Amino acid sequence: MTALWSLKYGFGSLSEPGVGFITFFAGAILALLSLLLFLSSFREKEKPASLLELWAGLDVKKVLYVLLLLVVYTSLLRPAGFPLCTFILLFLLFRVKGSYGIWTTLFASFFVTAGCYLVFQVWLQVQLPGGILG
Amino acid sequence: MEVFHHLLFGFHVAIQPVNLLFCFMGVLIGTLVGVLPGLGPVAAISLLLPATFHAPPVASIIMLSGIYYGAMYGGSTTSILVNIPGEAASVVTTIDGYQMARQGRAGAALGISAFGSFIAGTLGVVGLAFLAPPLAGVALKFGPPEYFSLMILGLTVLTFLAGGSMVKSLMMACVGVIIGNIGLDLVAAQPRFTFGLDILLDGVGLVPLIMGLFGVSEVLLNIEEKLDKQAVFETKVKGLLPNRKDWRESIMPILRGSVLGFFLGILPGGGAVISSFVSYGVEKRLSRHPEEFGKGAIAGVAGPEAANNSATAGAFIPLLTLGLPSNAVMAILLGALMIYGMPPGPNLISAHPQLFWGTIASMYIGNIMLLVLNLPLIGLWVKILKIPYPILFPLILLFCLIGAYSLNANVTEVGLMIFFGLLGYLMKKFKYDGAPLVLAMVLGPLLDNSLRQSLLLSGGSAMIFFTRPICLAVFSVVIVILILPVLKLWKTPEDRIS
Repeated sequence: MTALWSLKYGFGSLSEPGVGFITFFAGAILALLSLLLFLSSFREKEKPASLLELWAGLDVKKVLYVLLLLVVYTSLLRPAGFPLCTFILLFLLFRVKGSYGIWTTLFASFFVTAGCYLVFQVWLQVQLPGGILG
Repeated sequence: MEVFHHLLFGFHVAIQPVNLLFCFMGVLIGTLVGVLPGLGPVAAISLLLPATFHAPPVASIIMLSGIYYGAMYGGSTTSILVNIPGEAASVVTTIDGYQMARQGRAGAALGISAFGSFIAGTLGVVGLAFLAPPLAGVALKFGPPEYFSLMILGLTVLTFLAGGSMVKSLMMACVGVIIGNIGLDLVAAQPRFTFGLDILLDGVGLVPLIMGLFGVSEVLLNIEEKLDKQAVFETKVKGLLPNRKDWRESIMPILRGSVLGFFLGILPGGGAVISSFVSYGVEKRLSRHPEEFGKGAIAGVAGPEAANNSATAGAFIPLLTLGLPSNAVMAILLGALMIYGMPPGPNLISAHPQLFWGTIASMYIGNIMLLVLNLPLIGLWVKILKIPYPILFPLILLFCLIGAYSLNANVTEVGLMIFFGLLGYLMKKFKYDGAPLVLAMVLGPLLDNSLRQSLLLSGGSAMIFFTRPICLAVFSVVIVILILPVLKLWKTPEDRIS
C-alpha cells in the first residue's frame, strides 16, 4: 500500500527522483519480505503456535486495563489538569498488581503527584496543564 | 601533541561545575537503569531526553552519554546477584557471574567487573580521542554515495545481528524508513503520508516513538507476567577487591575485551551486546581450562564486561565523525544533537570543539565516578533491586507520559506514545525487533537525501554506487550479508540443525 501510495506523490525518474521515490522502494521491499515470510511459514514442519497460545497463562486483562487507563488519562489531561488526572491514575495503577491498603495507596499517589509537580512544573518549568485545580 | 592540547581543553570544559553535575547525574542514573531489569539505556535516554531541552547542550550530551556507559556498569550487578541481566549487554555475565555468586565469590565477580569496566572504558576513551579526529578528516572526502552506502551497511549489519529472524528485522527497517519520511519533504516541501494531519507535518517525533516502543511496551509485557519475587542471592557481598589470582586470570581477558569491544563498537550495527558475546567466545577458546566456563570462570566475567564498556566508546566514533549512528542509542543521541542544533559529522569537531572534546574528557571523569559509585554502593543497588515492580511500573509510565507531553505541550504526542507502546508490545509478542525500526527511522530522511543527491550527481545512473571504490566495497559486504540468511531460510529445519 505504501509503495502504491508513494506513486501518488510522484516517483520521478532515476535522474530526478521524486518525493515518493524512497518510500516506494521501502514499501515494495516490505511487500516482498512479507511474501517471503509468508511462504517460508509453509516450509516449517512444526505446527506454529496459535494466536491464543501467545497469551496463554498471562494476565492480558491487566494490559488492556492499563492501556485503557492511559487513553482516558490522555483524553482528560487538558480539561481536568495534571494534578487531578495523575493522582487518580497513580492510585489505580498502584492497585493493578499491588495489594496495598487504600490509605497507603492514597498517600503514595498524593506524594508522587506532588513530587512530580514540584520537579517538572516548578523546577524544570514544564508547562503542565492546571485544569480544574490549576 | 595536538590531541593532548585538545584534551586539556576538553577537561577545562568537563570540569565546569554544571558539566560535572550532569556527568554525575548521568552515570548515577545509568547505573540505576543498568541495575533495574526491564529498563535499559535506550528507554532511560528516551525518558530523560525531554528534560535536557532546558539544559545546556554540552551538559545534556554529557549526561546522556553517561547514562549509556553507566548502564554497562550497572547491568553486571543484577546479572551476578540475581541471574537476570540488567540490560542486554550483560546477558553473558549471568553465565559465569551468577555461578561465582553461588560459590560465595559474588564480591570478586562484582569487583573484577567494576575494575575491568573501568580499564576498558578508559582505554576506549583513549582510542576515541586519538582515532576520531583523523577519521573526521577522511570523512570530509565522503560524498552522498558513500554516506548512502554506509547507512545501508549499518542497517543491514544491525538487522543481521539483531536477535531473531533477519527477514523480520529487515521488514522493521523498511517500516522505519517509511515512518522517518512522514512529514514535509525537504526538497519539494510536499507533505508525505500526513493524511491531512497538521501534527504529522513535522514528522513522527522520535521521543514519543522510542518511549512507546521501548518504555511503555516493556511495562505492558511485564504487567501481564505473573511475576514472583525476584530471589536476590542472599549472601554477604564481601571482598570486593580482586586478589592476585583473580587479576592474573582476568588481566588478559580485560585487555583483549577492550580492544575487541572498541572496534566492534565502531562498526555500524555493532555495539556492546555483540562485543560481549564475541569476547566470551574468544576467552573460552583461548582459555587453558575452557571446561570451567559456565561454572564460575572469572575470565567469563572480566572479558565480556570489558568488551561492553569499550564498545560504548567505540560507538561514538561513527556518530561524532560521520554523523552515522551505529546502534539505537546512538540514533537517539543523533536525534538529540540535531534538536540542539549541533548536527554531528566531519565538521562537528571544528564547529563545536567544546561538545566533542568536553564529552570525551567527561567520559574519563565518568569512568572514575562509576568505579567509586559501583563498589561502595553495592549494598544500595541490592536494596533497589528489591523495589517491588507494582510500585516501579506506575512511576515509569508516569515519566513516559510527562516526557511525551513536555515536548510540545501537546496531548497528541502522548497519544502517539501510547500507540507506539501498544505497537511495541505486539512487536515483541510476534518477535519483531524494535532497534532496526528506530535506526531506520532516524536515518530515513538522511537516506532519502543522500540517495537523491547521488542520483542527481550521476545523472540517474545507479552505477555510481558500484564505480566508487568505497561504495563498491561496502555494497559487496551488504550483498554477502543479505544472501546468507536467504539461503538459510530455504533450508529445511533438519538441514538447519545439521
